[in-house]
Amino acid sequence: MKLRIGNFPVSRVCLGDKNEYDNGTLTIDKQGAIAYLKECDDHLTDLDIVIANPGDDTRIVPVVETIEPRCRPDGRTLFPGVTDAVVPAGEGDVKALKGCCVTVVAKEYGSFGDGVIDMGGEGAKHTYWSQLINICLVGDTDEEFERHEQQKCNRALRYAGHRFAEYIGQAVKDLETDDWEEYNFDSVSDQAKRNNGLPNVAIVLQPQSQMEALGYNDLWYGWDMNKYLPSFVSPTEVLDGAMISGSFMPASSKWSTYEMQNFPTIKELFAEDGKSLNFVGVIMSMLNVALEQKERAAIMVRSIAKNLGVDYAIVTEEGYGNPDADYVRCQVILEDAGIPVVGISNECTGRDGFSQPLVTLDSKMNALVSTGNVSQLIELPACKTVIGSLEAMNRDGMSGSWGYDEVLGKSARDDGSIIMEDNNWFCGDHIAGFSVKTMIEY
Amino acid sequence: MKKVVCYLNQFFGGVGGEDKADQEPFIVTEKIGPVMAINAALKDAEVTHTIVCGDNFMGSNTDEAISRIMDMLKDVEMDLFIAGPAFQAGRYGVACGTICKAVQDKLGVTAITSMNVENPGVDMFKRDVYIFKGGNGAVKMRQDVKAMTDFANKLLAGGKSEGADAEGYFARGKRQEKFLEFKRENTAAYRGVQMLIRKMNKQPYQTELVIPAKELVPIAPAIKDLSKAVVALVTTGGIVPVDNPDRIQSASATRWGRYDMTGMDRLESGVFKTIHAGFDPAAANADPNVIVPLDAMRAYEKEGKIGRLHNYFYSTVGTGTTEAEAKRMANEMIPYLRDDGVTAIIMGST
Repeated sequence: MKLRIGNFPVSRVCLGDKNEYDNGTLTIDKQGAIAYLKECDDHLTDLDIVIANPGDDTRIVPVVETIEPRCRPDGRTLFPGVTDAVVPAGEGDVKALKGCCVTVVAKEYGSFGDGVIDMGGEGAKHTYWSQLINICLVGDTDEEFERHEQQKCNRALRYAGHRFAEYIGQAVKDLETDDWEEYNFDSVSDQAKRNNGLPNVAIVLQPQSQMEALGYNDLWYGWDMNKYLPSFVSPTEVLDGAMISGSFMPASSKWSTYEMQNFPTIKELFAEDGKSLNFVGVIMSMLNVALEQKERAAIMVRSIAKNLGVDYAIVTEEGYGNPDADYVRCQVILEDAGIPVVGISNECTGRDGFSQPLVTLDSKMNALVSTGNVSQLIELPACKTVIGSLEAMNRDGMSGSWGYDEVLGKSARDDGSIIMEDNNWFCGDHIAGFSVKTMIEY
Repeated sequence: MKKVVCYLNQFFGGVGGEDKADQEPFIVTEKIGPVMAINAALKDAEVTHTIVCGDNFMGSNTDEAISRIMDMLKDVEMDLFIAGPAFQAGRYGVACGTICKAVQDKLGVTAITSMNVENPGVDMFKRDVYIFKGGNGAVKMRQDVKAMTDFANKLLAGGKSEGADAEGYFARGKRQEKFLEFKRENTAAYRGVQMLIRKMNKQPYQTELVIPAKELVPIAPAIKDLSKAVVALVTTGGIVPVDNPDRIQSASATRWGRYDMTGMDRLESGVFKTIHAGFDPAAANADPNVIVPLDAMRAYEKEGKIGRLHNYFYSTVGTGTTEAEAKRMANEMIPYLRDDGVTAIIMGST
């Protein structure tokens, strides 16, 4: 499979009355976009579009999702099974607006999986998003059944974000660029013909699928991954919108759709393909909660790896806590099968840093990359502008923030300053690979 | 000018050798022995007092020694406490660790010491105290004093630790985040793939998480006669009275509650619910007994299968809750359970 991504750098985003990309300036037809999105989904009761630029003294909360605006010049939908019918992904050309993201923000009510982005000040370093122009889609819906639930599907808002990313992407549909990234993924039999003596490496992805109720988990071609079993997929499918993020899991441990579209660890494996290793693809697993489900998934990952002739693997999980059991089990079963592993995940060492980093440990895991501590406390001053609602941090059971603590008080204080756990940064531990955090002994 | 207090044993305090190891603690303002070097190396800070105590006195009369030293320090202003360096001297190392921990716990002042890796004081106190990796004898005095005072100067100037390896003290099991400069080579993606390549090529690499030794809790012995057992129900499933009177958090819990079940045959929906955020609460809210099985336990009680049920259940939330917090909460629950003669606990997880 060959996927080409044509890059269009965005240095400025304006709201206007037409959709246009011109020499780094992206203009969005604001009213047109809002009308289009409401027409697509009549559950959207309120929508606004607000731009947040890197360095702005702005706090965005509750952030539901981030997505890279793109378009498929061949007219195929950007997220098969989500924004339109299920069609193949992973081949052909896609155009991407680089340096910006659609940031879906709930206007009023947050959810367990929603997070915080600071565009400037000390808070900016906590997420990758502060380096991008955030095209914030701020909205409310009539999904009254979950308005006061801690766990929300946020379906209308999330899908509006995906449609909006596609809508914006149309601005470059007919434009040319010289900046193309190429991802050539050879079939297994073609790779075997390389005969280059390099080891075969696969990446095992463990996307979030813990909610038994449907509608909260990551989707694979629109399919809820709670009802899914591990399979072998092309890395180009992941980069081309076959998978979207869900609404469950503490925010800092999530992979957003933007991270799936740009999966940094997959891109690094492509960079080494044919040089130091043969990248034999993605073993797409999941993270269901029951022990038998975990064991079944690990066995199937092992079986696929052995049958593909995988020599070494990277394992990475979208989450912490219960998912650590899958993360550890999968590494151990591969090591036992003679397939050495590197694991990439965050840790939970407690506010004081003294707790066990993963819920279960095994000394067979001897090569681990750590991307952060979900429970580290952060205290930050108020920002001049808030996009969304700070009160959601106190009221709505967002992960890593709270409404009452006898020592620390509430998370979002009346003066606009905040105190929260790392858990609450939107994708803050960037497990998919953007993280420049590590964990050390202090 | 910041103020520092030091601690020396009888030998380095100039009292004498092994024959003076029973020396009772005393406090001086003169800069004696290694304190001269420590004081000279401090920037914008001065050693105002030094405690001297015999190693045997500290070892044999620990509580008494700590109590007397705390009394000596009660009116002494200090910003930092430095003990040793103790090199490979075992009793001196343990004494330094003991007094550093006491100063931190009782006076809230950060303490620094230095020992050789072979010193038993390292394993005893490295979790609690900054212990610098010291030499095996007094010939390393200059280096060991420099390591301690460099770090002391950093802390006194308001700086923060750059980490155990960077500073040179023994790792304490305290793992926290470190931000690297934002560039491709520092991303987790790049670090992971490069680590794999080194692992493939049998080249040395450094895992970012060294798996520590396991702290396993042994499985309890079987109960011989269940019909005489006093059984308690404990859960991390977040079952609470509907108004959550103890305000237990839905994740990363630090709080717990005990709730009276006297006279109840089951936990009624609408009276109890779960506040746990890590699973779908529908089933537990409809029937809280699926997590705290009071209904089944009352039936066993009536059948005589168990002696009796302890009349309170104990609840907190397990999701995101650290081991350290869980351990503390368990230790707080135990006295209540012991008081009622509980002999068995059913630990309901979710």
